[in-house]
Amino acid sequence: MEIWRLPISASQRGKLISAGYTSLSSLSSISSSDLARELKVSESEAMNILKVASHSRGSETSNASCSIVEGAQSAWDMLHDEESLMHITTSSADLDNILGGGIHCKEVTEIGWSSLSVIVNSVLKYKLTTAFGSESIIFMLIGGVPGIDTEGSFMVERAFQIAEACIEDMSEYNRFLRKDFQECKIKMQPQDILENIFYFRICSYTEQIALINYLDKFLSEHKDVDMSLWSQVKVIVVDSVTFHFRQDFDDMALRTRVLSGMALKLMNLAKRFSLAVRLVCSCRDSWSHTCTNRIVLYWNGNERYAYIDKSPSLRSASAAYSVTARGIRNSSSSCKRIKMM
Amino acid sequence: MTPQSLLQLTSQKCTTGCSILDRLLYGGIPCDSITEIVAESGSGKTQICLQLSLHAQLPVSHGGLAASSLYLHTEFPFPFRRLHQLCLSFLSSNAHHFPVNDNPCDRIFVQSVHTADHLLEIMSKTDPFIENSKNQVPVRLIVIDSIAALFRSDFDNTPVELKRRSSLFFKISSKLKALAKRFNLAVLVTNQVVDLVGPNEGINGLRIGNLGCLHTSGRRVCPALGLAWANCVNSRLFLSRNEEVIREENEKSNGQSCDFVKKKMRKLYVVFAPHLPESSCEFEITREGLFGVER
Repeated sequence: MEIWRLPISASQRGKLISAGYTSLSSLSSISSSDLARELKVSESEAMNILKVASHSRGSETSNASCSIVEGAQSAWDMLHDEESLMHITTSSADLDNILGGGIHCKEVTEIGWSSLSVIVNSVLKYKLTTAFGSESIIFMLIGGVPGIDTEGSFMVERAFQIAEACIEDMSEYNRFLRKDFQECKIKMQPQDILENIFYFRICSYTEQIALINYLDKFLSEHKDVDMSLWSQVKVIVVDSVTFHFRQDFDDMALRTRVLSGMALKLMNLAKRFSLAVRLVCSCRDSWSHTCTNRIVLYWNGNERYAYIDKSPSLRSASAAYSVTARGIRNSSSSCKRIKMM
Repeated sequence: MTPQSLLQLTSQKCTTGCSILDRLLYGGIPCDSITEIVAESGSGKTQICLQLSLHAQLPVSHGGLAASSLYLHTEFPFPFRRLHQLCLSFLSSNAHHFPVNDNPCDRIFVQSVHTADHLLEIMSKTDPFIENSKNQVPVRLIVIDSIAALFRSDFDNTPVELKRRSSLFFKISSKLKALAKRFNLAVLVTNQVVDLVGPNEGINGLRIGNLGCLHTSGRRVCPALGLAWANCVNSRLFLSRNEEVIREENEKSNGQSCDFVKKKMRKLYVVFAPHLPESSCEFEITREGLFGVER
């Protein structure tokens, strides 16, 4: 969709076009303050433009009257979309590198197997970073990854710890990046981050299926309340998908059907609401067809490694990382290597 | 279905009765979570369980849960005499929290378990049991000592049996978790070890958690029940026991005869836990109980 079809004032439209914004997708990844500076308009005005833009982007995907088949998109549009997609950082630079910038929105990423408490930490870390990027997150805690992290492995005290570290990191980052912008930013509190994590605890697979069916409604409610970015859910973390499916299922075919039905629903959610879905689960072959990316975590000697097992757009690669009190970081030995160079 | 607010979720801990161990565990054994203790026999698993079920009765202001406990034991006999001994020392140091002539042992409900199916049956009765006991001191701690004993005898080494076995693991753990969530219980489970024979390969050589390998009594071991059960617990602690021989030469008899003094070195490791960093601590077991030693 082109800028000139946006329902905004002519002067605003002119400013947008003269600043080089021609398509809606080019507006999707810019913050209101940046836009305000570029167009030389007030911040509230810029916010309004972004609101209208994201509204019509939403309606564009839902009605799609111009396309031949409902919901169809040309490859060109998809490329545009992909370029404007947000990536969510894991806050370990090495991991971000192999992931092409971080976890992708609109895709289902699975982390599987072999590493234990790491997974929870990475989930937390990842989730909190996103919260800082001013979106809220649904955190669904479902069941066990190998070793730990079953229901109740989510520890608020750990979340709080990582949230604090995150805020420190971000304020440092801000100081480097935009010195002038510093003073208008109110100091964030860990409580603010925790408030934006919606936490569901699941005790059986029936509950799990019910919740995933309900998510659609939940997300649309949270989308309509307020169009400000803050209230949009951008990440769903399911930790873990398979735990409850490992008991009481004698009929393997039924289990496969239920699981893949659930995966399709998650995919659908990811597309419609531009979410990143991150699953934690144990390996299952039938399941691996349904997720877009799969990352395998494992131990190599005394170091933790992440390996991209499956992805349509990334080449397979692995990177070392470590779990610290502050969350997931680059592995300490690789830091040393960089320092030596 | 409504999401829970994280600000209202608090994680309560049950003290172990030793400030050094509590510091290592960030306050003790967490509620609404399953903690497992892995060790070979004679390392102090049962000692921790007994001590915890006594200290759970302390008021919340003193790190306890102000609650009674349910103790399921699968290894016979139940150490009543040791419990009584621990109870006396517990009372002497915490007498002011309890009325005169009160016996903390009255608030430890002991139940023997014979098979895995028996355990499931007991757990289905636990719901009404805890609910009905609410007018008295509520149950806030479940101890299973040990889970491995149930699974190491009854099952053949055939694919069908192994599948049934791991399906039981998940059944038991999800039932335990549902109980833990509903009544905000702390759950402590003990597990045995198996020796690791041969090269560092195969499923038993697979690294789980912080420690590359677990050593006790000079042997390499790994937790019993394998990877499937490792999926079922939230945190795992490992107790090691090693004998250090200190050689003291006796100069008097021409340096020929030597006295060997054996000293037990016990250590507690955090293998994995969502809230704990990799850490370890030395401890000793005395008449009064199990205590950390600061180095």
